[in-house]
Formats: sequence, structure tokens, C-alpha cells
Amino acid sequence: MHIAEGFLPPAHAVAWGVASAPFVVHGVRSLTREVREHPESTLLIGASGAFTFVLSALKLPSVTGSCSHPTGTGLGAILFRPPIMAVLGTITLLFQALLLAHGGLTTLGANVFSMAIVGPWAGYGVYRLLRRFDVPLMVAVFFAAFVADLSTYCVTSVQLALAFPDPSSGFLGALGKFGSIFAVTQIPLAVSEGLLTVLVMRLLVQSSKGELTRLGVFLAGKRSRSGTNGTDATNQTNETNEANETTGTVTR
Amino acid sequence: MLPIDAAAHSSRWRRRHPVDKAVLGLGLTVLAISLPPWPGAALVLVTALTVLLGPAAVPRRRLWRAYRVPLGFCVTGALPLLLQVGGPDGFVTLAEGGPVRAGELLLRTSAASLGVLLFAFTTPLSDLLPRLVNAGVPAPVVDVALVTYRMSFLLLDSVRRIREAQAARLGHTTRAATWRSLAGLGATAFVRAFDRATRLQAGLAGRGYDGTLRVLVPQARISARFTLASVALLAAVAALTFVLERPLR
Repeated sequence: MHIAEGFLPPAHAVAWGVASAPFVVHGVRSLTREVREHPESTLLIGASGAFTFVLSALKLPSVTGSCSHPTGTGLGAILFRPPIMAVLGTITLLFQALLLAHGGLTTLGANVFSMAIVGPWAGYGVYRLLRRFDVPLMVAVFFAAFVADLSTYCVTSVQLALAFPDPSSGFLGALGKFGSIFAVTQIPLAVSEGLLTVLVMRLLVQSSKGELTRLGVFLAGKRSRSGTNGTDATNQTNETNEANETTGTVTR
Repeated sequence: MLPIDAAAHSSRWRRRHPVDKAVLGLGLTVLAISLPPWPGAALVLVTALTVLLGPAAVPRRRLWRAYRVPLGFCVTGALPLLLQVGGPDGFVTLAEGGPVRAGELLLRTSAASLGVLLFAFTTPLSDLLPRLVNAGVPAPVVDVALVTYRMSFLLLDSVRRIREAQAARLGHTTRAATWRSLAGLGATAFVRAFDRATRLQAGLAGRGYDGTLRVLVPQARISARFTLASVALLAAVAALTFVLERPLR
């Protein structure tokens, strides 16, 4: 759920914009450096942005029987890394505000903070942590998507509770109210998004191994351990084994 | 094409410079969140609605279809303001002054949303994005946003066709089938996006791609008259709010 246009008081809107700015600027610098070094990346990153936008438009059946849409932040962070997701998420949220009337321009900073910064970083952190302990790829993907989705909505609850404290119990009471409406009802949806992300990733491993390898998805857990000793050949072997572990195929 | 963008392309104000429309539309949004909700946001709401349906000639039905989305979010978000947690009367009780606060919030958000819709319904993103370079946004980011914008429509179209094909093959008859179809949809969108990017890259490389995407932007000048009239309208709304605030309280 995006925070709607005009929902936050001006001071809060500005403060969340200021809080988001360093992450977005960092992402913009990473993206600019990448595009200057590899001009062809513009098209691939643009395609990633379009994929993120379309992913957020898919209707997701919830465990409770209702219907919602995935945030796409977990899958996006695994595929494209959180700094790039900060920029892609900002572009996606801008498009959603102007093309779909979801979210808003004065609440863009707050929505960017929850959906394009906290969600991707939390999901990616869980993914890297689980991969470091040799947890199977698909389990790590599930928890990354689950945590990314849930953390996004928890942050949204905090943002709303800060803006509208309860008259009797203040911030904590308001957090309970908004949390029970947004975050708790979001748990089934987070499970749904986790399951969907696993299914999508399974298909991607089967059909787009080349793209996933180029994006470094299979290396995320191994990179830190192999460190400077990792050669291209070792990495390639790791990637092949990783993909085969997931798809159940054997390389001869 | 998405309904709001389609309406923007055929808008009466399509040829106006985006700055003209930003001053009016986003100015109304800023007023909606800055002025006291009563009567400020109410005046902004009436003004935005008058401009949208009058001079900007936005079709009523399209406006309502777009407007009901943020309205739904606003109502859901305002509901918790009706209740309070803790206190002498019970754990969860009706908050004193809750309906007034919820009403003011609804007034503010609905007025602010109309301001943004005024801008969105009259300004296609293809007119706005290339001009962001002049506003200081780095050119690579604008290029990425342009590719994202143009590819989104193609992908949305692909997704719609795939969904129809899945439905025709009974792909949505059971819960398990729905999940399988949805996963296939997401994965196919990814594959198609990257495939299209690779083919675009090959095509651009053959045309001497140097890293910058040059696009034709419709020529438009900032209209001093339009901008001044917008500023005057905004000032009048603000002044009227302060004049009416005391008698209406």
C-alpha cells in the first residue's frame, strides 16, 4: 500500500524526502558510473525498471482469499542489487503516481524510503545472510521476498504512526492501529509474494541462466567467501552447480 | 497505453509547456497540504475540479476512474483516526474528535490528489521526462527512465496477451493453476524485457549508439501569461482561505 497523495503533513513529507535522498543519490551515482563504463547497460537497466513496474501491476491471490499486488522489491534487490533498486524504485513510484494515481508526489520520499530503500536492503540482507550459511537458493529467495515485503509495510506503519499519533497512547498506540491494518494483514500477502518469487526464480533459472549469471545472482552467496582467490573458472563452476542444484539437471 | 497517459496525449493542454501545468497542478497540491483543511483544502478541491472539467476538458468518466483509486487508499488510511487505543473507557474506543480529524485528512488528500491528476491528465510523461535534464537530473537516469517508460507499455501489453492465452488454456481454473500461471507470467515478462533490451542494443549499435538516447521533444514555450494567471489563482485561493477561516470556524 502506497501512502496516498497529501496524506502526510508537509514537515513529514520533507523529512522522509531528506532521509531518502542519500540512498537515491548513491544509487544514481552507481547507475551513472555503470552507464558511463558500459553504455549498453542503459537498455538493460531500463528493461529492469519496466520489469519492476510490470511486476508491481500483477494481481496476487492472497492466502486469505483477497487480492493484492506484489511489491517486487525482494526479487528486484536479488536481481539488480539495492543501490540500483533505489533508482529503479524511485522511477517506478514516480510512474505509478503519474500514470496510475497510486502514491503521490508529496509522499514520494516516504514511499521511496519504505519500498525502494528499506524493502530491498532488508530483503537483500536476508538473502546474503542465508546464502552465506549455504541455505538452498530457493529458500533464501523465499525469505528475501517475504522480509522485503513485510519490512516495507512495517515502515509504512511507522511513517503513518509518526504522522498521526494516537490521542491517548501516542506513537505506540498509533503504530498498533496502523500496524494491525497494514502490517498484520500483510503477512499472508508477504507469504504469497515469497511463494510467487520462488516460482518466478525457478522458471528464470531454467530459462534465463545466462541473464542471471550476468546479473551475478548465483555469486551473491559465494563472492564474499571466495574473495580474491575466486577465479573466473571457479565462479563459473559455482554458477553451474548452483543452477543444477535448483533445476535438478546434471552437467556432463 | 494507460488511461491517464492516453488522456494526456489527447489533452487540450498537450502543447503547453510542462512548467505551465506544473505551476498550476502541483501548486494546488502544495496549497492543499499547506493550508488549513477547512476551508483551504475544500477551496483547492473545488478549484482543481473546476479547472479539470472546465478549461482542461478532462473527460468526467476517466477522471472518476483515476480518482477513485487514491480515494480508496485515503478512506482506508483515515479509518484508524476514528479509534483510540488505551484510555479510561477501554482498550479500543472511539477517539474524541476522531471524525473531524479523519474528515480533514480526507479533504486534504482528495484535494491534493486532484492537483496531481490535473498535471498527469494534461502532461504526457514523454513530454516531461526528456526535460528533466534541464532540471538537473543526470542524463543517464533520464535515459533509463525513458527506456523504462517506453518498454513498460510493451511489457504490459505482452502480459495482457499472455494472461488471455493462459485463461484460454484453463490456466486460472484452480488455485494451483493460477499460481503456476502467475509465475509463468512474471518469468516471461523478465525474459521478454531482457530479450527486447538485447535486440534494442543490437539495433542501436548498428546505428552508431554512443550512450545517449536522443528523442524528439515537442517544441513548447513557457507561457508567462498562463503561469502568471496560475500564480494569481493560487494566491486568490490562499487569500480566500485566510479570509473565510475565522467566520467558518
